[in-house]
Amino acid sequence: MKTIVVGSLESSDCLITLQPADKTTIDIESVVYDAYGKRIRHVIERVLSAHQLTRVHVRCQDKGALDYAIEARLETAIKRHKEVNHGA
Amino acid sequence: MARSYLFIPGDVPRMLQNMDVFEADAVIVDFEDAIATHTKDEARDLTRAFITKHHENLPDIYVRVNAVEHDDFMRDIDALFGLDITGIVLPKADTHALKRYRETFEKKGEHPLHLIALIETPRACLDMLAIADYPLVRALMLGGEDLTSALATARTNARTEIATARGLMVLAAAAAGIDSIDTPYPVVDHPEGLQADIAQSVAFGFSAKACIHPNHVDAVNRAFTPSQAAVDEARRILAMHEKTGSTRFSLDGNMIDKPIIERAKNVIKQAGIHGRDLP
Repeated sequence: MKTIVVGSLESSDCLITLQPADKTTIDIESVVYDAYGKRIRHVIERVLSAHQLTRVHVRCQDKGALDYAIEARLETAIKRHKEVNHGA
Repeated sequence: MARSYLFIPGDVPRMLQNMDVFEADAVIVDFEDAIATHTKDEARDLTRAFITKHHENLPDIYVRVNAVEHDDFMRDIDALFGLDITGIVLPKADTHALKRYRETFEKKGEHPLHLIALIETPRACLDMLAIADYPLVRALMLGGEDLTSALATARTNARTEIATARGLMVLAAAAAGIDSIDTPYPVVDHPEGLQADIAQSVAFGFSAKACIHPNHVDAVNRAFTPSQAAVDEARRILAMHEKTGSTRFSLDGNMIDKPIIERAKNVIKQAGIHGRDLP
């Protein structure tokens, strides 16, 4: 099973790492974790839920990304994950 | 009537989010040359999400998709359906590519988005009038770097290698009644070279110029906005035209006739569009 990496560590972006796992886990590292950590987690959970993904590990290394950027990076990662790990 | 078209990469959030502060009249979000093959999906998803969520107070947005023969062309078009953008920049545009582009939308039952045809091959240069006359095409843009490569020559400071293409483009666009957009100056930090290149764009008669860096936008906007002296001169010509009721008269020893009066009207129109103070 392959690890997927999408995005960057540049300002206003985030690096999303997605791996198959036994259950869903989310790790967040953010320069604005105290203010926005919960919000970032909510965005990630919402996107995973929309795709009905329950057995992945998501690591989000955030550099001040807005919601749309986190969503888009995770969307791309999920599409690649489905192609690579499920042949979708 | 845009003066400046700024290219920004589609996979960099910082650039997308700042597209409204660069002061370009239009931006071209790039899915093609600025994006590595393995991150084109990232650019599509990021751009779509940004325009969907942050669509207020944005400049005119075009997207440069990959060329019609490229594997990513259809994926690019699919990612743009339903988005509030002004149009598409089609690379390697020629009559075959335009037909493929139109058919792509027709097969999906969608109305094709307007196009800026990017002219960057010798054949396209020689077919420019047919391309300019194509109903979906709203402007021609010169791709100087690819054309220079196709001609197997080198870029010069005088840009002699693209002079013929520049002249042909201005003629073809004018004949078809559409805009002509000159190739960007390819060096990021060379103000003297930039000014000289912009002066050529204006002298050839282009309507606008593309930019590869935000730092080029201000100089391009200024060059394509009529100067106060030009506005004053145009006002005097039009005032004399109105006073005499004639399309042929002398002003300061210069013969003024219909083409000069039309140019004066165009100067006033351009100045009005781009905000120069007109009492």
